[in-house]
Amino acid sequence: MATDDAVYATIRDIGGRFRRKTLSPVELTRALLERIERLEPTLHAFVTVTADRALADAKAAETALARGDISSPLLGIPLGYKDIYATRGVVTTGGSALLADWVPDADSTCVARLQKAGAVMLGKLITHEFAFGIQFPGHRFPAAKNPWDLERMPGGSSSGSGTALAAGMAFGALGSDTGGSIRGPASFCGIAGLKPTYGRCSRSGVLTLSWTLDHTGPMARTVEDCAYLLQALAGHDPADPASSREPVGDYIAPLVRGVRNLRIGVPREYFCEGLDSEVEKAFEQALTTLRQLGASVQDVQIPSIKSAPAYMVILLSEAYAYHERDLREHPELFGEFLRERIQAGGLITSSEYVQAQRLRATLQADMSDVLRRVDLLVTPTSPKPAATFAAVYDPNYDAPRSNTGPFNMTGLPTLALPIGFSASGLPLSMQITGRPFEEANVLRAGHTYEQATDWHKRHPNV
Amino acid sequence: MTLDELRDRMKAARIEIAENRLELVRRLLTDALRPIHEMDSRKVKTLEPCVTFDARRSGV
Repeated sequence: MATDDAVYATIRDIGGRFRRKTLSPVELTRALLERIERLEPTLHAFVTVTADRALADAKAAETALARGDISSPLLGIPLGYKDIYATRGVVTTGGSALLADWVPDADSTCVARLQKAGAVMLGKLITHEFAFGIQFPGHRFPAAKNPWDLERMPGGSSSGSGTALAAGMAFGALGSDTGGSIRGPASFCGIAGLKPTYGRCSRSGVLTLSWTLDHTGPMARTVEDCAYLLQALAGHDPADPASSREPVGDYIAPLVRGVRNLRIGVPREYFCEGLDSEVEKAFEQALTTLRQLGASVQDVQIPSIKSAPAYMVILLSEAYAYHERDLREHPELFGEFLRERIQAGGLITSSEYVQAQRLRATLQADMSDVLRRVDLLVTPTSPKPAATFAAVYDPNYDAPRSNTGPFNMTGLPTLALPIGFSASGLPLSMQITGRPFEEANVLRAGHTYEQATDWHKRHPNV
Repeated sequence: MTLDELRDRMKAARIEIAENRLELVRRLLTDALRPIHEMDSRKVKTLEPCVTFDARRSGV
């Protein structure tokens, strides 16, 4: 059947098949719905599967294709949306018992833009509770499993997005990233994920975790697929006070320009400390590959990088401000892990919050200085591969340092993509960071690396 | 941050956290606050905190 090899195809490839009429959006959507039905009892990627809606979207795409409409590369492409994005008429839980029955009356801007581009909505993808609290056993919503190893976390908070993409249950997904929630699952699930510049993609209609750190963005199996999704998502939204008026560039055409003459900086202090040996080896090999592709790679220093963990002070304080009233009135409706983490935000003083923002300004200035001398920064996405559920559930679990948080502090566009696998078959990943609103450069470097390697072509045995 | 300091903060904020979870919260706050406690706010260059955040503010 034409759909058997299609579930791991790229968005561009699927679009070509649609136009050549060797595959139809309805055929493909039916195949994915069957795959979801088969895999969902094991993987728990979805909170809600909108099968009727998906087939209606697919039929509409088929009609558009039949009349020769090929204006959108997302026409007929099946996607999933993290369950913190409001979807009109479709329950949006935020992974929380508080919102278990909430049915929004409007789409979030990101969902509306993807649907306007002709995408097929497969359903809502599980998120860590309010994009922050891991689901412990017994939680109202079961945790998504990592398709590469069911005993391991897929990362979070965009856990369902990472799982669904790695398992071939969707062609793209929406994630959100406050401290690494797009890039973590991308890293642990062996896919690509882009945290765009702060303000590049709208947060309107997306549940808040931390106003000044929250980013929305695309996740997909390839960098090119992320570029297609970003092209539809990016742009000013008056409904989001942080939305930028910066013009939207072309994210597709520059992908093929290569990395020759790009200057890549490697800030080893902080980002390369305490790396798992397999992560270190894969990262150094990725740097070698980038050099071989023509980039100049040099070590750089970010003087204030040690202040990066202060991002958690900002996150916790703002999350507490957002959730305080519900926490005081309905503490029983919060999962234990989330409740304690947000309560910790209520123990931070106003002075500490302000000092964290001052440190943020210093870090932002230092990264800007470095990005005057180099075009991109490259760092390991996570110091270690995915942890087991058992390890994370242990109250004494010592979480690895966050390599993702510093780029939420500074708002810089950052892409995570696969750079290899551990001996036990777990995906490893690097981040590529660019100047504000230079997503095209970031994607171009990622795509060039990806085309020179085959990590993105490997898929879990599900 | 010691557990006693954590309890003092909980009392001041009127926030209750289960005794068996205090160590987790202590570690979370200790790691997050370390850069702030190591910072001498009188010596760092005067930078206003971000009231709203702009990724391009620094003019790169």
